[in-house]
Amino acid sequence: MPRACAFGFLGPNGAGKTTMIRTLLGLTRASAGTMSILGHPVPAERAQALRRVGAIVEEPRFHPHLSGRENLRIIAAVRGPEADVRIAPALARVGLTERADEKVKRYSLGMRQRLGVARCLLADPLLLILDEPTNGLDPGGIQEFRQMIRSLVENEGRTVFLSSHLLDEVEKICDAAAIVDRGKIVSQGAIAELAGGGDGHELILGVDDAERALTVLDGSELVREAHLSDEGLRVLLVGGPHTAAALNAELVGAGIGVMRLEPVRHSLEQRFLEITARLDAPMSKQEVRA
Amino acid sequence: MSAAIALRMTGADFLKLRKKPGTVIWALVLALAPLLIYFIVRAAQHASNPAEHGPAGGVGGYVDALRILAAFFGPLAAIMVGVEAGAGDVASGVFRDLVVTGRSRVALFATRVPAALALTWIIAAVGYALLTIGTFAFASGSPTPSAATMFNGLGFTLLSTGVIAAVAVGFAALTASRPAALTVLIGWHLVASPLLGSISSLGSSRKLILDQAINHFSPVHIGDRANVVMSQGTAVIVVIGWLLVFLLLGAWRTRTMDA
Repeated sequence: MPRACAFGFLGPNGAGKTTMIRTLLGLTRASAGTMSILGHPVPAERAQALRRVGAIVEEPRFHPHLSGRENLRIIAAVRGPEADVRIAPALARVGLTERADEKVKRYSLGMRQRLGVARCLLADPLLLILDEPTNGLDPGGIQEFRQMIRSLVENEGRTVFLSSHLLDEVEKICDAAAIVDRGKIVSQGAIAELAGGGDGHELILGVDDAERALTVLDGSELVREAHLSDEGLRVLLVGGPHTAAALNAELVGAGIGVMRLEPVRHSLEQRFLEITARLDAPMSKQEVRA
Repeated sequence: MSAAIALRMTGADFLKLRKKPGTVIWALVLALAPLLIYFIVRAAQHASNPAEHGPAGGVGGYVDALRILAAFFGPLAAIMVGVEAGAGDVASGVFRDLVVTGRSRVALFATRVPAALALTWIIAAVGYALLTIGTFAFASGSPTPSAATMFNGLGFTLLSTGVIAAVAVGFAALTASRPAALTVLIGWHLVASPLLGSISSLGSSRKLILDQAINHFSPVHIGDRANVVMSQGTAVIVVIGWLLVFLLLGAWRTRTMDA
């Protein structure tokens, strides 16, 4: 995954997202295969690999009878003396300085989530791994968390690996993403690229004579597929977006009035559903054999 | 891992323990309340009928109080502290955050032991201070224990509570469950261990019972909780054996469990 970006890790339930994160972090053991973090193979060089990694796996957990600051002191003691001096800046970074000496059992979920990020910052992380970080947060908390993550990426140049099943969340926070299913990455790229999806370009056309337009489109070399939908004529072009103008000229040349020509904008959600629906289909004999 | 980091990690483990009000309060209650009750009741009996009841303090009072603290309630306090130290991180869910730091899991386990010992010994020392005060304050002119006996009694109290606390750390890490570890260890200490120790048909195999081995080191005879005769060497081997087995099992489980 690229450095200094927010990278989404998407997949349906049971796809293997949390298992992969837990294995990567040494929380559970892999049965086979190799992995590396920041260039270090794990588990062989786990200590070096995790020295500059911060992680929140599922909800952040703390000793409830200790204050936020004391909880950070415990992790700092394990990380080493350099982490001690980062406690105060980390608390300030997540806006918890004022409440740092209160017991964690009095914290809201949003505050715990922020304290979890502060705990990650004790490592001065090059990489933050966040597993379903907005679970249970209210809309205000989600917005706040989103801004914090973007700021960690944009202002501090850190890399954030965010695993989530909330597609909208990934689309808003991340620059790039991978879609995983059945333990394998099935699609990966920049968010815009992923959302755009497909190998064609899709348009919605508003015309004065849909029946005749369909006949023209069926005979056109520019069109891979066309059908009538509720929104109008939905057309999948063979080429890229530049063919839209040629298609428009073709229709006008055939005497059809074109009132509307609009590129279809896919959301990441649509793209995700397309991919996972395809994967949900029963496997072919060749796939089963593979 | 450097000694400085080990010391800091032990300090962090001690912080978790000493700030846990339930554990500290109950451990203190177990270490102090029975002694207080013993001295108050015995003093009242002695005051009401000196001919029938001897003084609460003196040598007789010291032997009874040492049995209460070092052989009975002190180990219960040690179990509370040891179980919290051994299973507290897993119970609170913080264990995985400790693992994610990349620090060796065995090191995470190892630093719990001195932290548990530190808190256990502080509580045991407070109990022994109360025992000392009671022994001398309620002597009523009867003979009192010598300085050597008092010193050896303190050593015995620290040995007894320390060994039990360390075994509890290992056992709690092995079970990874506070309730299970507390139930088994308290049940063993209060019921199973004295029961097995009293079954004479078990013969010399009773030397393997930890309480019997520990009580061998008492400077005074503390009654039926030490009714199996064994040599000093056997007692040392049994105590070390229990420590090794449970600490190694605790370390193994901490190293291999899913966090």
